[in-house]
Amino acid sequence: GHGRGGMGESVSRKEDQRFITGRGNYVDDVKRPGMLHCELVRSPHAHARIEDIDGSRAMALESVVAVLTADDLLEYGLATMPTLMDDTQDVLVNDKVKFQSQEVAAVIAEDRYAAKDGAEKVEVEYDVLDPVVDAAAALEDDAPVIRDDIEGKEDNHCLDWETGDEEATADAFANAPVTVEEEMLYQRLHPAPIETCGAVGDYDPGKDKLTVHMTSQAPHIHRTLFAQVSGIPEHKIRIVSPDVGGGFGNKVPIYPGYVVAAAASYVLEQPVKWVEERSENIQSTGFARDYDMKGEIAATEDGEILAVRTDVLADHGAYNAVAQPSKFPAGFFNIFTGSYDIDTAYGSLTAAYTNSAPGGVAYRCSFRVTEAVYLIERMVKVLADELEMDPAEVRRKNFIQPEQFPYESPTGWNYDSGDYETALDKALEMADYEAYREEQRRRIEADEKKLLGIGISSFTEVVGAGPGKSCDIAGVEMFDSADIRVHPTGKATVRVGVQTQGQGHETTFAQIVAEELGMDVEDITVEHGDTDTDPYGLGTYGSRSTPVAGAATAVASRKVRDKAKSIAANELEAAEDDVTWDRESGEFHVVGAPERSITITEIAAGAYMNKPAGEEPGLEAVNYYDPPEMTYPFGSYVVIVEIDRETGEVDFEKFVAVDDCGNRINPMIIEGQIHGGLAQGIGTAMLEHVTFDDNGNVTGGDFMNYLLPTAMEIPEFETGHTVTPSPHHPIGAKGVGESPTVGSPPAIVNAVVDAMAHAGVSHVEMPMTPDVVWETLKESGLAQQPA
Amino acid sequence: MTDERELTLTVNGTERMIEVEPRRLLVHALRENLDLTGTHIGCDTGNCGACTVLVDGEPIKSCLAFAVQADGSEILTVEGMEELPAAAGELHPLQEGFHEEHGLQCGYCTPGMIIAGKALLDENPDPDEDEIREAISGNLCRCTGYQNIVRSIEYAADELESRAA
Repeated sequence: GHGRGGMGESVSRKEDQRFITGRGNYVDDVKRPGMLHCELVRSPHAHARIEDIDGSRAMALESVVAVLTADDLLEYGLATMPTLMDDTQDVLVNDKVKFQSQEVAAVIAEDRYAAKDGAEKVEVEYDVLDPVVDAAAALEDDAPVIRDDIEGKEDNHCLDWETGDEEATADAFANAPVTVEEEMLYQRLHPAPIETCGAVGDYDPGKDKLTVHMTSQAPHIHRTLFAQVSGIPEHKIRIVSPDVGGGFGNKVPIYPGYVVAAAASYVLEQPVKWVEERSENIQSTGFARDYDMKGEIAATEDGEILAVRTDVLADHGAYNAVAQPSKFPAGFFNIFTGSYDIDTAYGSLTAAYTNSAPGGVAYRCSFRVTEAVYLIERMVKVLADELEMDPAEVRRKNFIQPEQFPYESPTGWNYDSGDYETALDKALEMADYEAYREEQRRRIEADEKKLLGIGISSFTEVVGAGPGKSCDIAGVEMFDSADIRVHPTGKATVRVGVQTQGQGHETTFAQIVAEELGMDVEDITVEHGDTDTDPYGLGTYGSRSTPVAGAATAVASRKVRDKAKSIAANELEAAEDDVTWDRESGEFHVVGAPERSITITEIAAGAYMNKPAGEEPGLEAVNYYDPPEMTYPFGSYVVIVEIDRETGEVDFEKFVAVDDCGNRINPMIIEGQIHGGLAQGIGTAMLEHVTFDDNGNVTGGDFMNYLLPTAMEIPEFETGHTVTPSPHHPIGAKGVGESPTVGSPPAIVNAVVDAMAHAGVSHVEMPMTPDVVWETLKESGLAQQPA
Repeated sequence: MTDERELTLTVNGTERMIEVEPRRLLVHALRENLDLTGTHIGCDTGNCGACTVLVDGEPIKSCLAFAVQADGSEILTVEGMEELPAAAGELHPLQEGFHEEHGLQCGYCTPGMIIAGKALLDENPDPDEDEIREAISGNLCRCTGYQNIVRSIEYAADELESRAA
């Protein structure tokens, strides 16, 4: 950094002003003349045939303008929509509902209260069928067939997938002196951003143009998909993703509500707003996880890992609508060999359709890396306990070493850089590891009421999707973009193809430009989210913004700098070869004569008012960046918990997170990302679970039952970092936003298991609510009755 | 609309008259009748606190009150923070604290969180960390992990104290 808001400076955020004064502009703040409101009629049943839908009583209400069903959308080819995984999802259902809260009809009315009145008056006649909400039960022979809309489909099998070398792995297991095995459910979660999903469709018949304001993490790809599905040409569709109140992967897919709001506006030629309520959000939009995993490790007696194997049963809900690159049906789950140098590995997966909402990839998962890291980091703890070794020691023994990078994993990933042991040692030191191990032994010997547990996770992430040769969304390669325009007075407007949902892009992308062009961060405005003005990009998810659009921003800045050099030479009356750019001062100067210098402000004026012969006027550049590789940030987390043997309550004694995301653009913002992600990791491990009863009713589908952590459940975090730059990234930066949620759940579970390991406990399922822990205490003989 | 009631609300120091149905929630009256869209809606069960406002000095979740119940009341929303005497024509120390301490990310919980912080500091100008955490336990944040929000409120408490000195 050069002291004016460049790389590495904890610049306070440019976007804060509007949010702290209530002047943010979120979707539900959008108001248009003549705007109508949409309420969706949802199924009370998980599985039922629709015999009849009667909207006449709703239409009789004075303020109700329209009642739409699948029949109305069929005319426009919009009754169903393609998913990102070659499946088809109903927008509105007219034959058979496949999960509770599924969208059946839409009521359009003059205000939101009237729309709700109307929705209550739509009469739907159902013939209720047996539901199946458990993936294993769904694959049984006599299970009711959910997807009879797919021609020839006679079961609930969704897909199979495998990775690695099955035979070599089997050999390794057959010959290994030690093998361990554990089954673990990564339960169904929901990202639950505090702002739910919503949209305002606004078709302008005068311009024949459809504008949709929507809660979108990927507005450009949404525009393309809207165009492909609706037949409206892409230049006549404008998607605006305004301020977004958190995304966490929930706002990547296209939901029926968006399509209905847009279609209704097109049909009625009036703006139509749809904003879902919290329970609709949890019950019908993209869930996360739901991987039932078996993990196995083969090792030597002294803890060298020889092979890893896993078998997964995945629940994909009623449609395969997983939001991930098209060639990766299990996302990047095959990163499950983790931070360890393991010769061979094999993974297999079967996914099932169930009578539940679709989803799977969301909630800081980096395309199933949460599941992969949970699996390997839990299994390393299982192995360490089996061998009665220190889990830190097992990790050290197996880490990929710094000199091994770039490292090719047995499942085909090409890790860019890492120094795992340094990060682990730092975390252990910050956590005062050895002292806590001693305290743990003391408490066990003294049979104290409170057990101490120490959990470690040393994870490797894979973020920044991705190289166009392997990564695409609906066929569009996963590049991203930046467009930088320097104005005559030396200020700049930067537009990017990604879309922040709170991660601070308006500040950090300006910092990249400030660094590369020697500008003051205050002189740069970053815009995003409007497909009419911003360059095409794939959006923000999978911690891809810094790896991909961050790279594009640096490359576009350097293009501007290249042109600026010729203008600088012209202004300084020197040959271009005699002019050099000085990163420290942020100026160009004549070689050997630093006093003959020029700033970007002066250069910008020259570009518009005194351009060199042969140059175009103006000073701007665009870059569409196709990343050569992913980035692989890593970290080590150490969690120390206290468990009350009388109640099963778990308290966090210490929570240490050391992250390495390469070069750091804004340490303050990174720290905020870590805090938030760790809180979500705690929610994951301790509280959150979307649950169902046997009838397919969602029993964990609102904030009374789906518990987010409050300030009371979240401890003080201690964060640290190391810096191992990505060698292939223009500024050496890696993504980081999802690392804390990927890395922390196994550390937390390992800590709870660790507290009870001396009594033979090898696993505790998430969420580890007090009753779950209490049961484990009882079963292992550790429970105490109050004195 | 049938059966509309005429209400007088003093919002952020200005008297406003609106006509609403008795069933209209206060949060919708603020957002839709008065265009004060800083106050947000994050749930349908009264848990998240994104809609927190002060009514006659008391913090309430405005999604759990009908607008008609607030007839004749004085209401403070986030948009009124800059008008408060403690703001001295600039940002209120709470707003400043959230900016300085990075107490917000997506910004969606922020207005409710700032109002909850105001309610706490009105009662207890020098809260400790536990008291702050408890005071905002009715306000959910999905981005920050709360730590910097605690710092933000501590910043405001210090700033208010130094200004009072």
